[in-house]
Amino acid sequence: MIPQKLKLDIERAYVDTMMSVLAQGLVATSRIDKSVHSEFSHFPQGYQVQMTVMPHGPGFLLEANGDGTVDLAKIPKPKPDLCVKFKHHSHALLVLTFQEGTARAFANDRMIADGDVANAVRLIRCMNKMEALILPKMVAKLALKRYPEMPLLQKMIKATYIYSLVAKNLLLGKSK
Amino acid sequence: MTKAFYEFFCPVKIIAGHKALEHIPFELSALSVERPLIVTDKGVRGVGLLSHIENVFAAAGLPIPVIFDDVPPDSSLHTVRNATAVYRDNDCDAIIAIGGGSVIDTSKALNVLASEGGDDLLKYSGAHNLKRPLKPLFVIPTTSGTGSEVTMVAMISDTEKGVKIPFTSYFLLPNAAVLDPRMTLTLPPHITAMTAMDALTHAIEAYTCMAANPMSDAYATAAVQKIVGNILKVMDHPHDADGRLELAQASTMAGIAFSNSMVGMVHALGHSIGAVCHLPHGLCMSLLLPYVLEYNQDAIAERLGQLLLPLAGAEFYAATPAASRAIRSILVIRQLRDDLYARCKLPRTLQETGKVKQEQLEQIVEVAINDGSLIYNPKEADRPDLLAVLKAAWA
Repeated sequence: MIPQKLKLDIERAYVDTMMSVLAQGLVATSRIDKSVHSEFSHFPQGYQVQMTVMPHGPGFLLEANGDGTVDLAKIPKPKPDLCVKFKHHSHALLVLTFQEGTARAFANDRMIADGDVANAVRLIRCMNKMEALILPKMVAKLALKRYPEMPLLQKMIKATYIYSLVAKNLLLGKSK
Repeated sequence: MTKAFYEFFCPVKIIAGHKALEHIPFELSALSVERPLIVTDKGVRGVGLLSHIENVFAAAGLPIPVIFDDVPPDSSLHTVRNATAVYRDNDCDAIIAIGGGSVIDTSKALNVLASEGGDDLLKYSGAHNLKRPLKPLFVIPTTSGTGSEVTMVAMISDTEKGVKIPFTSYFLLPNAAVLDPRMTLTLPPHITAMTAMDALTHAIEAYTCMAANPMSDAYATAAVQKIVGNILKVMDHPHDADGRLELAQASTMAGIAFSNSMVGMVHALGHSIGAVCHLPHGLCMSLLLPYVLEYNQDAIAERLGQLLLPLAGAEFYAATPAASRAIRSILVIRQLRDDLYARCKLPRTLQETGKVKQEQLEQIVEVAINDGSLIYNPKEADRPDLLAVLKAAWA
């Protein structure tokens, strides 16, 4: 049996890693998927989006380029324009292990969105689309209210691009 | 199915019934309030509703409170600042909101500035940016629909930027909601109908959307039963004080339900029709409710079927086969809309309003697709789905 502390350390490391994957995944998806690109094009240049676990992280901070793409933010604003906070790391774990979808997590009071609601809804759609692209259909169906049907080849091409960019940036240390 | 997790919070004291207003002086003194500010609008004042409150204070030998009656139908930062100035000039120590949604939201926002000091309301916008209790706030609703007297949200327009700014905090919840039938007795029939449909929608969406929970279910089903049991009686006998009180209580119960379990697509589309076509919120709810339920039906069949019991009563429920209950619930709501149309010509379709054009439907969809309520809708909805619902509601 895994001791409680070790279990907690493993979970924290997983959440930390998945936050990086999510951030890099959104960066990559904004460059390859038309619908995600279109959603992020509503975010003005310099608009910062944070996702974090209360009270002290982990999390990530993205910045919109104003052209539909996002990158990791280099200089954080005093307060991000939109902040999505998990109330506890175990809640983040539920979502990041895809046991609970983003909408379900909101409905179960696991998360708080602070900022423009319309952009929070756009961000959720981007995350949903990214999950549909990078996860096997069976897993994605658990996390999403509706799995968006798409040709397998298209999914494979986009998933490969996203995974390679995520891996490259993680290896280069451009994590958060 | 057991809900994996939920939260439920409503610390608002409900003071309800005949002569409920007469309890206000005691409730104020219990909180050591000496100089409350009454916030209202010119409509409420014009129909003489304030005289009930003034009489209550006079009979208790208390000075009549200072009154700010300049709240517009759509509250703004400017209005909040003006109300704050009156509050400070008169050294007030509490707020009594008397009115509908706009008056209540203005009062909540005014309470932020009155309690925290300064004039920068935007500093407290967004989710949970207030960290301590505010001044005492009492709410006396003059419609039976919004439920704002028991919600922790206020929406204030920034008219310069043309946006609505949300404020969400537990500390925005009023100390007390006072439900007295005298305050809704003179509501015109079409407003009575619209606001009742607003409350019914709050209850039904609270029960059928993703954040429904056992506590909100109890309030939601009780609210549905009270609304369908009393709305037509009140429409036929507008001075039925007991019926008015039942509707007022139902509205507050529906407010407690939806503030703890959120709402869904009816509100997403309704907010958008309101923004694009300037139709009253309650009317939008009435126009959309059956069509959204039809859209969601396969995802919520069991719960929609359960609603037939409070909607139609035990005998009808028992006589309806389980598989037909969901569709029967929708039919009961449609029948209620027909009954309201027969009594006050409350429109049943977007076309009947005469204020929505078919070419506006796509514009409405573009607004609705980014409405936060969609997150809680039990079934995913993209632009074509929303457009299909609007087309169904057209005629």
